[in-house]
Amino acid sequence: MSDDAAAERRELRDTARRFLAERSSEQDVRRLMDGPGHDPALWELMGRDLGWQGLAIPDAHGGAGYGWDELVIVFEEMGRALLGAPFLATVALAAGALLESGDVEAQARYLPDLAAGRVVATLAAAGDDGLPDLEAVGVRATRAAQDGWRLTGRVPFVLDGQHAALVLLPARTPDGVTLFAVDVPGAGVEVTALETLDLTRGLAVVRVDDTPARQVGRSGDGARIVGRALEFGSVALAAEQTGGAARCLDMAVGYARTREQFGRPIGSFQAVKHICADIFVAVEAARSALFEATRQANRHVAGAAAELSAAAHLAQAICSESFVHAATANIQVHGGIGFTWEHPAHLYFRRARSSEILLGTPAHHRREYARLLGLAA
Amino acid sequence: MAQTAREDPAGDRGHEDDDSDRESLTAFLDRARVFLAGAPEVGRRSETTGLARSEAGDGERVGDGDGGQRASRPPLVWGEGSDEVNLLPEHSPEEDERIVAAARRFKAAEYAAGFGWIDGPTEYGGAGLPVSYLDAYLDLRGQYDVPDLAVFGLGLGMISPTLLAHGSESAKRIYLPRLHAGEAIGCQLFSEPGAGSDLASLRTRAVRDGDEWVITGQKVWTTNGHLSDVGEVLCRTSPEAPKHRGITAFLVDMHAPGVEVRPLRQMTGGASFNEVFLTEVRVPDENRLGAVDDGWRVATTTLMNERSTASDLGGSLAAILDRLIMLARWSGRLADPVVRDRLSDTVMHVRLAGYATERAHLARTAGTPGPEHSVGKLVWTNNLRRISDLLTDILGPRLIADTGEWGTFAWTTLVLGVPGIRVSAGTDEIMKNILAERVLGLPREPSPARTTSAPGGNGKDGNV
Repeated sequence: MSDDAAAERRELRDTARRFLAERSSEQDVRRLMDGPGHDPALWELMGRDLGWQGLAIPDAHGGAGYGWDELVIVFEEMGRALLGAPFLATVALAAGALLESGDVEAQARYLPDLAAGRVVATLAAAGDDGLPDLEAVGVRATRAAQDGWRLTGRVPFVLDGQHAALVLLPARTPDGVTLFAVDVPGAGVEVTALETLDLTRGLAVVRVDDTPARQVGRSGDGARIVGRALEFGSVALAAEQTGGAARCLDMAVGYARTREQFGRPIGSFQAVKHICADIFVAVEAARSALFEATRQANRHVAGAAAELSAAAHLAQAICSESFVHAATANIQVHGGIGFTWEHPAHLYFRRARSSEILLGTPAHHRREYARLLGLAA
Repeated sequence: MAQTAREDPAGDRGHEDDDSDRESLTAFLDRARVFLAGAPEVGRRSETTGLARSEAGDGERVGDGDGGQRASRPPLVWGEGSDEVNLLPEHSPEEDERIVAAARRFKAAEYAAGFGWIDGPTEYGGAGLPVSYLDAYLDLRGQYDVPDLAVFGLGLGMISPTLLAHGSESAKRIYLPRLHAGEAIGCQLFSEPGAGSDLASLRTRAVRDGDEWVITGQKVWTTNGHLSDVGEVLCRTSPEAPKHRGITAFLVDMHAPGVEVRPLRQMTGGASFNEVFLTEVRVPDENRLGAVDDGWRVATTTLMNERSTASDLGGSLAAILDRLIMLARWSGRLADPVVRDRLSDTVMHVRLAGYATERAHLARTAGTPGPEHSVGKLVWTNNLRRISDLLTDILGPRLIADTGEWGTFAWTTLVLGVPGIRVSAGTDEIMKNILAERVLGLPREPSPARTTSAPGGNGKDGNV
């Protein structure tokens, strides 16, 4: 890494932290979770003035043409600040799928709007167990008389589905699973927001009924594209988780330094010190997992031989474990105050518990990792 | 081990910039290749693994870090070769003799050829080259089958940087070349029966007698004590002073009259450590490290280097992991999804240690060392615990009784060694205190000794 690139990344992190401290304060987070879930004006601002949505989108499609090193920084900082925004859905999943599809026409049609913050998009791929079941996709595509395709079916657990104007979804066709794009609102589209454990992140059920759709990528290539997009999503989510875990560490340590019991700061007791040290070890594990995942994502994007699948599963398994550990231990260090609604500790706990399942449970990721290692029976 | 010289906190290598007539890296490596191809003992692999203090980490430090096979590691074949899996060196006297002889021959030749102390200052026998040359050399050496150099680990990794930072001019001139030429094997005489985690409460006495000091006391857990030529010893010099301020460090000749080394049998059944009895051992004042009563600072230098060493070892479970995977396949236990899940988890965590080492390496190259080192030991012991627990499920009864099958009961040595790793080189709990206080900035535990006899504090603490 050149010194210039390193300096640029430091600046990006500083900018992101400052901006999010201002625009995604605890007060902002609570305002969004009690109401709209996401702030369209902030979304536009991030796309237009900061260029975050387009950070890793090629220049040709209105992006800045950076890579995962930069994108990961922004995701980490958003995770720290618990930003309520459809960034993961739009930038990692939807833009990731479009880029992976190799479909130049679809890229030209959608990516500039995504990059500029004009459109929120998502990928609807989860099956009933929350994981994409690409063998038994719940949506069927039929060829319409003249203008393309019609989709019918239902997808549960669609990330930020209620905010999206563009939904990418895999559907069954005679040529195999193929990816399609549906505009929302649109004929026969029904999006129902769900009550969620993580109050800062939206999940919805998307139903389509004879809904017009455009094909994205080659016929029968949907499973591959979606699989890869989920790996990009895994890297991005791992970054969010790492940022969230780091914030929990800061909160726990800050409180342990100042809270006094038995006439001295609780952080001077070894029992509390060791909780904090264990959180630190967990955060470092997350950072190492993210380091490898970022490297493999970059290699993949550059067209080099990469082990993105393994690295993505590892990152999800490890960063999930780390964030849940950090968020849980943070409440323990805080004691009673950490269990109150007013304290932000539970917001991180909710985010941690939700994130570890969002793109596959830790057991799923360990199973897939073992499979990739050839550790089958 | 030479790799830790890179982290020398004394910073005695201001050679990065005066590169006017320095040998180019390419020429340097060409010369290194010629040397390694013809060096003594190279190409004959030593049979013991000795992973705990060996240079196994070198081959894995840079690169994929994923436990993949390196040229330096012969491919594992089930049922072939030794099935010993040992974290601690437990050699018979004959094995010791053979290993030490091979190591000394190689190291002497390496030093003579100018590769023995690549980034060391020239006035003390170093080659005065940038640390990047050392890194490149270690990468290259990792591709050759060099002897087990673990026996030099303490001398090169801990005593050398301590000596450089705190030794007298004459001690530096005498001992540094000998340490790096493989002539002097070093050990660390710190722990005592009554001074473990609370090292500063040590009671071995040193009393001044003219130009000499007279040392009497007992040390314990001395790695390589029986093989050593020189030891770094911490002694009480001012019994009335606060405990951290009455300690002085010395280099002691392990062959001097009054030094008695006895093997200490540990719970594995073998002996990797010694007890060392010091009875009126005379040490010249030139061998004093640092000022009188300032030995705590000296010990800190040594222990910081010890932790760097331990954390580099965090990545060195790759060879054990390969063996574990092979065992899991052989055992047929992978049919159990629970075993598969836990093996997957273990592989992930061991590989993470490799990624952490890479991160630390990058941070060091960028001149901003992170806290990764402090974490390394905990990561290492956590991984060893994972491996031990998994072995129970994979091996079942073959772990508790020897059926004679290759590669099964041999794992008992590892399982029995893990509790020792958890208490050695700073117990896991002490490491957590260090992380909490030094890295996270949590307040110290009020200590009666410090608050009563060292008012105002002095930046030292009981957890070094």
